[in-house]
Amino acid sequence: MTVATNTWFTRYFTDNTYDEMFSPDLSVKGNWKELLENFKRIGIDGLNQRQNDIDWLLEENGVTYNVYNDPNGLNRPWNLNVIPFLLHADEWQQIEKGLKQRAELLNLVLKDIYGERRLIKEGVVPHEVIYGHRGFLRQCDKIHYKLDKHLLLYAADLARGSDGRMWVVNDRSQAPSGMGYALENRSTTNRVLSDVFVDMNVRRLSEFFKEFNDLLVEASPEKIENPNIVILTPGSHNETYFEHAYLASFLGYPLVQGNDLVVREGNLYMKSLKGLKRVHVVLRRVDDIFTDPLELREDSHLGVAGLLDVVRRNNVAIVNPIGSGVLENPGLIPFMPAICRFFLNEPLVLPQIASWWCGQEKEKSYVLENLHNLVIKPIDRTNREHIHFGSLMSKAELEKLKNEIQRKPYHFVAQERISFSTAPNFTKGSFEPRNMVARTFTIAGKKGYNVMPGGLVRVAPDRNTLRVSNQRGGTSKDFWIIDPDRTEETPSFNWNRRSAIAVNGLADLPSLTAENLYWAGRYVGRTLVNARFLRMVLKQTNATESVPQEDCSVKLNILYKAVTQMTGTYPGFMEKREDGTYAMSNPLEEIFDVILNRERLGSLAHTMRMFSSSYYSIRNLWSSDMWRVFETIQKIWRNLENEKDLTVTKLIKALNQLITRLIAFMGLIEESIMVEQGLLLYFIGLQLEHSSLTITKCRALLVNKQAGQTEYEILEALLSSHESLNIYRYSYRSFIRVEPVINLMLMDLKYPRSLTFLLGRLQKDIARLPHSQRSDTLTQYEKNVFEAFSKLRLASSESLAMTKNSESYLREELDDLLEELSELLFQTSQSITNTYFNHTYKQSQLVDQNFSI
Amino acid sequence: MLYTVSHTTTYNYDAPVSYCHNIAVLKPRKSPGQELLQYKMQISPEADEISERVDFFGNYITRFSIQKEHKELKVTTVSKLERDYDSQRESFRSEACTAITLEQARKTLQKTEADILEAKQFVLESIFIRHWGENIREYAKKSFTPGRSVFEAAEELMQRIYVDFDFVSGFTSVSTPINEVMQERKGVCQDFAQIAIACIRSIGLPARYISGYIETLPPPGREKLVGADASHAWFSIFIPGFGWVDFDPTNNQIPGNQHLVTGWGRDYYDVPPLKGVVYGSGRSKLNVEVDIARIS
Repeated sequence: MTVATNTWFTRYFTDNTYDEMFSPDLSVKGNWKELLENFKRIGIDGLNQRQNDIDWLLEENGVTYNVYNDPNGLNRPWNLNVIPFLLHADEWQQIEKGLKQRAELLNLVLKDIYGERRLIKEGVVPHEVIYGHRGFLRQCDKIHYKLDKHLLLYAADLARGSDGRMWVVNDRSQAPSGMGYALENRSTTNRVLSDVFVDMNVRRLSEFFKEFNDLLVEASPEKIENPNIVILTPGSHNETYFEHAYLASFLGYPLVQGNDLVVREGNLYMKSLKGLKRVHVVLRRVDDIFTDPLELREDSHLGVAGLLDVVRRNNVAIVNPIGSGVLENPGLIPFMPAICRFFLNEPLVLPQIASWWCGQEKEKSYVLENLHNLVIKPIDRTNREHIHFGSLMSKAELEKLKNEIQRKPYHFVAQERISFSTAPNFTKGSFEPRNMVARTFTIAGKKGYNVMPGGLVRVAPDRNTLRVSNQRGGTSKDFWIIDPDRTEETPSFNWNRRSAIAVNGLADLPSLTAENLYWAGRYVGRTLVNARFLRMVLKQTNATESVPQEDCSVKLNILYKAVTQMTGTYPGFMEKREDGTYAMSNPLEEIFDVILNRERLGSLAHTMRMFSSSYYSIRNLWSSDMWRVFETIQKIWRNLENEKDLTVTKLIKALNQLITRLIAFMGLIEESIMVEQGLLLYFIGLQLEHSSLTITKCRALLVNKQAGQTEYEILEALLSSHESLNIYRYSYRSFIRVEPVINLMLMDLKYPRSLTFLLGRLQKDIARLPHSQRSDTLTQYEKNVFEAFSKLRLASSESLAMTKNSESYLREELDDLLEELSELLFQTSQSITNTYFNHTYKQSQLVDQNFSI
Repeated sequence: MLYTVSHTTTYNYDAPVSYCHNIAVLKPRKSPGQELLQYKMQISPEADEISERVDFFGNYITRFSIQKEHKELKVTTVSKLERDYDSQRESFRSEACTAITLEQARKTLQKTEADILEAKQFVLESIFIRHWGENIREYAKKSFTPGRSVFEAAEELMQRIYVDFDFVSGFTSVSTPINEVMQERKGVCQDFAQIAIACIRSIGLPARYISGYIETLPPPGREKLVGADASHAWFSIFIPGFGWVDFDPTNNQIPGNQHLVTGWGRDYYDVPPLKGVVYGSGRSKLNVEVDIARIS
C-alpha cells in the first residue's frame, strides 16, 4: 500500500476477526489491490464525485425501498455504496457449487414433504419441523407438477463465518426479493464505475437474466410459443414494490395485482380492457398464504380465489410454487447434513450457521443454559421482529423466552451469534469497515440449477451495528465476481423477448393499470386546473387588499364561492359551517386550508396525494425523466408544507412552480408512454376532467349576470384562470364581454381549451377503446359524449348569454345546458368505469373468519 | 343402522352476488364402523364447475364455483349411511384400551411406527387450538393424573366439560379463542370439542376434531320435527398402543350409532362444512337445516 492510500484508512481500524480487504497483517488481499489501484487513480475527490453520481442516478431512476410502520418510510431512496464487494472466481466456484447443491437439496425436500414424506417416515427429519411450521400448507399436499424441479427460484443469505468460509445463514424460497435491486445496482455501477468495471474483469449478469426469462417461459404448463407471463405484486405499499415494477418493465411482462386476475373454469385469467386473457405463468411476490383467499388466508385481498385449484389442474405455473415457504425454516438447518446424505449420499458443500433445534432434549437444555449467548428464532418466522438476541435481553426477558421455549420447544431454533466479516464502505470521504451479508440467487435451468454471478450485498447502517437489514436503513453494494482472465464479452440483454401483451396492445392492458392511468389523467387535470384557479383567486385577493371597495368584495365573494364549487370542499364559502362560523369572515384561512389540508377531501393537497398514488402504482410505465420531474413536484409541495411563515405571495410563487412542473410532466407523459400502453386512458381521463371543471367554472362564474364593472372583472378572472386572456384579446380585440367569452370558453371549434374542442377530442379517443369498435351501435359512453357534443354544437352563444328578461339575473339557458352537460359527463365516467374497470366487486367471505394461519 | 341425512345450507344475499367460489366438506368420509352407500349434492343456482378431491386428512373436499349472478345460494346434500359402531364402542372398554396409563402412552408415543408418526401431528398446535394458557393445562391435569388410565382420564375430562360448561349458542363464533371459551365456560359443541382437544394436547397426547351429525330423538309420544337434527362436533383422543377413541363432551357420551361422521382434522379450520369467497356488495343471511331419517 502506498502512502497516498495509507491515509485513507486512518479510520479503518477493525476489532473484527475477519475483514474482506485486509489480512490480519494489514496487507491488502488479492483483487482488492487492483480495486485500490483504480481508486488511487480516481482519488478521494473523484470517489466522492462518483458516489454523488450514484446517489443522483438512483434518485433519478426512482429506486426506492419502503419501510413498514414508518410514515416517512414510503419510497425511501435506495442506498448503493461506490465500493463494490469483490470475490475471486476461485472462491466463487466453490460457493456456486454449494448453492447448486443446496438448491437441489431443498428442491428434493419440497417434493418429499408434499409427497411421500420419506424424510419424516424414515426418521431423517422430526415431524414437528414440518408439521409444526405454519408454512407447511396441507392444502398443497400431493400436488403433481409438470416441471421436474419444484423449487424454481432460491435465494440464500451468505455471511463469512469465523473460519473464513462463506456460510449459509438464511434460506429464502417463497418469493425472494433482491434480484431486481441487484440488477439495478449493477446497471448503476456499470455506468458510474465503467472504467474500473472493465479493467477488473467483472463477470456479467446478462446471461443469468436470460436464463431467468427462459425459466419463466419454460414453466408454462402449455407448450406454446408466447405463454402469458405476469408478475403478481401485493401493490405499491409493499417494501420492495420498486423491484416488482423494475423487473416487470425489464422483462416486459405485465405487473398485476390480485384484483387483476380471476379464476374461471379451472383457468387463470387476467382482466384486460378487452376482456379475459388466459395466464400461464405467475412470477409472484405475494407470500404463500395470501395467494388464495378461498383455500388459504381467507381475508387476503392480495391473491386470487381459486388459484390453488388451477395449480392442481396444472393450468398455471407459480414461481415459486405455493407452499414453498416451509423451506424458510431454520429448523431444517441442523438436519441438512443428514438430508444431504439421505438424498445425495454426499456431504454438504457450504457450511451453515451452527443451529440447535429445541425439539430435541439435549439441544434444548444446551440452549436454555446458553440462552444469553445465542440468537433465538421461531422455525417459521424468520423476519427480524421475531428474532431474539440473547445478549441484548434483560433477565426478565430471558426468563420469559425460556418459558416460551419450554412450552413449545419444537417451535424454536437457537443459532450461534456469528461475527460477520467486514467490508470497506465509503462514507463521508473515508473508508469504514461494515458488517456484510450477501444474498445470492439460484434458479432452475434445463441442465440443473444456475447461480447469478453476483448478488445483492447489504451492509450495516453504521460501523457499530452487527445486524444487516434494509428495514433498518442499511446500504447496499454491487457484488463483483472477478475472473483472473479476460472473459469474452457477452452482448447484453439481446435475447429475443416477445411479450405477447405488447403485441396485442391496448386490448390486453390489465384493467387495473388502465384504471390507474385513467385516474392519473383525471387527477393531474384536476391538480392543474385547480392550482391555476386558486392562484388566480390569491392574486385577486392580494391586489384588492389595499383597495377595499364595495365592488371588489362582491367580485371576491363570487370567486371564493367558485373555489368551493371547483374543489368540492363544501360547505366552504357556500354556507355556514356546522359550528356556526362562516368561511367568508376569514377567507384567506379557508383558502389556505383548501390548498394545504391534506386530510380534506377535494383540497389541492388531497388531489396531489391522489395524483401521486395513482402515478406511483403504474410506475413500471415511467421514464426516468418523468420520475425526475415528479420528484421536483413532490419537493415543491414538501417545501410548501414545511414553510412556517406562509404568506399569500409565497403561496402564489409555489403555485407558479407547481404549475410549470405539472405542465412539463404532462408533456413528458405524452411522449414517454405509448397509446397501446394505455396513454389513451390517460387522455380520456384528462379530457373528461378538463371538461367537467370547465363546466363547473362556467356555472360558478357565468350563470349569474353581474352589474357592469363586476361582470367585467369576473370575466377577466375567468379568462385568466383558464389561461385564455391573451387568446381572447387576440381573437376578439375587444372589451371583454360575456357573449364572446362564452363563445371562446365553450363553443370554439378550433381553440384547444374550449369545451367543444375537448369533447370533440374525447369523442375520437373513446372511439378507440376496445368495446367501441364492436358494432355499428354506439356504446353508452359514446352516446353520452356524442349527445353532449351535439348539444353544444346546437347552442348559440348569443341566446346563452341572455337572461329571461331584463329584471332577471339568471342566464337560464346557459344554466340548463351546463347542468345537462355535467350530468352527461358524469354518466360517461360511470359507463367507462363499468365497462372497463369493473373488478371492483367487493370480495367477502361466505363465513366471516378473521384469523391468521 | 341405516340413515338418510339431508343437509341444506342456504345463503340469502340482500344484493346480487356476481360470482362465487366455494369449498364444501359435506360428503361423509371413510370412517370405522360407517359406510357411505349413496351421496348426492345439489347446488342452486347450478354450479358452472365442480370438482372433488381427497385432502391431507382423507376428507372429501368439494369445490365449486357459480358464475351467474344470484341472490340465493342453496347447497343440499343427501347421504345414505350405514352405521354400526357397537364393536368400536365395546373395544374402547376393553382391557387393551383402558389399561394404558399416561406414562405408558407417552413412552409409546416416542416410537416411530407409521400409525404413531401419523397421529403425532395432532399433538401440535393448530390454527384454532393454539396458545393455550396455563388454565387449560391445569384443567387437563386434574383428570390426567400420574399413573392413571388414559381412557378413564379422557372420559372424566369429557364429563367435566359437560358439567362445567353451559351450552349457549350465539355466544361464540368459529374464531373465538379457546382461552376465552375456557374463561367464560360457555359455547357450543365445536367449542367443547376444541377445549377438550386443547387439554389433551397440553399434556402431550394427540387429539383430533370430528365433524358430523347427531340424530336427535323426539320426546316420547311426539313426532320428530324436520330440521331438528343438527350438524355436530366431538373429539377423538389417540391412545398410543391402542388407537383413536371418540368422546362427545356436549352429550357426555361415547359416540355410538347416532353419531355420523363427515370429516376430521386438527380443529374446525380443517373441516368447515361450507366456506367460500363471494363477489358482491351485499350482506348475507344463513340458514341451515339438517334432517336425519332412520331407515331401519
